[in-house]
Amino acid sequence: MTDTTPTEPDGGQTRDLSAARDMIVCENVSKWYGDFQALEQVSATIKEQEVVVVLGPSGSGKSTWIRCINHLEVHQEGRIIVDDVELTNDLRNIEQVRSEVGMVFQQFNLFPHLTVRDNVTLAPIWVRKKPRAEAEAEATALLERVGIPEQADKYPGQLSGGQQQRVAIARALAMEPKIMLFDEPTSALDPEMIKEVLDVMKTLALSGMTMMVVTHEMGFAKEVADRIIFMEGGQIVEQGTPQHFFENPTEDRTKLFLSQIL
Amino acid sequence: MTTAPTTRERVSQRVPLWRDVIVLKWVTQVALLLVVLGTMWFLASQAGDNLRARNINTEFDFLERPVDIQISEGIDTHPDTGGRALWAAMVNTLRLSISGIFFASILGVVVGLARLSDNWIVRRIATGWVEVLRNVPLLVQMVLIYSALTALPRVGLDTGPVNGWLHISNKGISMPRVFIADGFYQWAVVVLVGVLVAHFVRRHRQAVQDETGAHTSPTLWALGTVAVFGLIGLFIHPIFSWLGPVFDGVADLLGSLPNAVPQVLLAAIVVGLAAIWIHRFISSRRSALGHLSISDDDCFRIAFTAVASLAVVALIARWTGFSAWTLNSGQDLFAVMADKFDVDGAARPFDAMRPDIIQKGRFPNYGTNGLSMSLGFASVFFAVVFYTSAFIGENVRGGILAVPKGQTEAAKAVGLGRGQIIRHVVLPQALRVILPPTGNQYLNLTKNTSLAVAVGMSDMVQVGTTVFNQTGMTLPVVAIWMLFYLSCSLTISVIVNWFNVRMRLVER
Repeated sequence: MTDTTPTEPDGGQTRDLSAARDMIVCENVSKWYGDFQALEQVSATIKEQEVVVVLGPSGSGKSTWIRCINHLEVHQEGRIIVDDVELTNDLRNIEQVRSEVGMVFQQFNLFPHLTVRDNVTLAPIWVRKKPRAEAEAEATALLERVGIPEQADKYPGQLSGGQQQRVAIARALAMEPKIMLFDEPTSALDPEMIKEVLDVMKTLALSGMTMMVVTHEMGFAKEVADRIIFMEGGQIVEQGTPQHFFENPTEDRTKLFLSQIL
Repeated sequence: MTTAPTTRERVSQRVPLWRDVIVLKWVTQVALLLVVLGTMWFLASQAGDNLRARNINTEFDFLERPVDIQISEGIDTHPDTGGRALWAAMVNTLRLSISGIFFASILGVVVGLARLSDNWIVRRIATGWVEVLRNVPLLVQMVLIYSALTALPRVGLDTGPVNGWLHISNKGISMPRVFIADGFYQWAVVVLVGVLVAHFVRRHRQAVQDETGAHTSPTLWALGTVAVFGLIGLFIHPIFSWLGPVFDGVADLLGSLPNAVPQVLLAAIVVGLAAIWIHRFISSRRSALGHLSISDDDCFRIAFTAVASLAVVALIARWTGFSAWTLNSGQDLFAVMADKFDVDGAARPFDAMRPDIIQKGRFPNYGTNGLSMSLGFASVFFAVVFYTSAFIGENVRGGILAVPKGQTEAAKAVGLGRGQIIRHVVLPQALRVILPPTGNQYLNLTKNTSLAVAVGMSDMVQVGTTVFNQTGMTLPVVAIWMLFYLSCSLTISVIVNWFNVRMRLVER
């Protein structure tokens, strides 16, 4: 866990988002791998500009859930509606959702045969059909935003883990998404590189991006999250503000989890 | 009284030569080079002495002497000389290898993709194809195909599925043939100009795409340009007939030059190349501020390059035969090219003929008009194509599976479509895994065509055997075989290596 310096002393901003628009709506989402039920009746609504951190022990279905939201995994029951588009078998809906939802993976998954700049511009050029010059100018701006403009002409294999993950964030942002999903973005990083990635995520959250983050970084959760969702065994066990979650959780399983990690 | 040397003084003493790693490295390298060259020269002269002592003829003059060979098909079925017979056989082998490589690649990709298909039946069929063809000896497959083909109906003067256009019979397959005619070379120049123009068209379209973001398909445009030039060239090609006299002039010029000219020219090229290399090497050792730092190792490299280039220059000066040969072959080349352009203005670049059936002896057979594939050729061709497709299919499957799943997921997550994912993410990474082993399969295919001797098709090995049986020239024929197969293999591996270098990933 990194020592982050909170922007507000009490940790956790308490913004009132009840009037904001629903960005992600999940209704009774269930998924099975063979006989094993990975998600069990998961229901949640995520508002525009909200930052939600999903916590839970490994195998609790956090990653499966977040991957269902851009259809990398297919849910079998229930409904998922992203920005008023429902994820069904309709290819057009799936592509529309994917171009509005950016995702950052635990293993970075940068394209190793392309330079950093080409990694960032690939989708804007081929999906958004942007002129190369424009796409490259935006890529330069994004790389500056994540703090590595000087690495643009290198290949991913020449960068450190933290730099690669920041490129991955820039690549996702290049599509100008309305929602960003983070699937354990710092779990594959060396401790000294975690902070640089978390800092980028923090600025992104402050800029008003709707974010859903699966992580084990409690400091980040306390400081940045509007809401924490705790999952176990494919179910949502408890959710609430960071203050509520860390200071007086109601469920026994949450207490057990917190006692193990804190 | 002398003071004890300081640490710095003790450390900075010059290393004696016999302990200097870099000196030792270069001395051993150069010594080894000399030993290898000396051994080769010694062995060659010994072998020559021994062969002469045993009266074994190693001259290549049998290539000029008449032989009595009938070749199953190809550019010359009744060659006059041993050399011509081997030439015709070589063309047959090359035809087999090149067409085999082409079709085996296509079929292999189909098989490999079918192995990964979501469709259960397609996947099972592809698996069966691979398992059966990989595990049955190629010779058995070849003979099996041959015996199946002999069961086809006999050829007659009025047979064939499309009489006059396509014939399939127990004599093979015959179809209409398009061949190059006198005007071809003029037309080829038009196409060459088209290729040049296409290069600029491609660059322009690419620039437009980069500027506006519109998808302008530059490659398609380039191909289209070449096609347009090819079409127009069919009508306007005589405009290049003036090239004939030009080539004639060059040939005359080369004929009148003294031997010294190519000698001086070659020596100048060698010295120039060495000088350029040394210059570049020295500037690559210069730091951004212009400070030059040259290590001992670099000194040795520069010296070695200079000495080697001087050695080559000495060789050129001593070996006058080589210079004369370059002059003569240059003159011949331009004379031949001049001939190709010395045609009647209205000559067509292409001609076509329909297959014919002739009856020389007791049985009718295909004549020389059509493009005919003999039974032997067909069985070798299908056998090597099927057999190699199984191996290439496995390479393709392995290459695609070698691309991590995260790559496709990341590509999906940024919104790329199925085709775009394959083209921009999966294929570039899969090719780098697929190509090296597939190059090996191409080499294997080329060498496997020598099994053609089993079904009586006249390839390099079959004709070579007949030639040395008739002339007694075993060693020269074997040398020709080795040289031929070696050049094929080297050509293929040079091409594959070139692709490999281009595909390599950059890592730290």
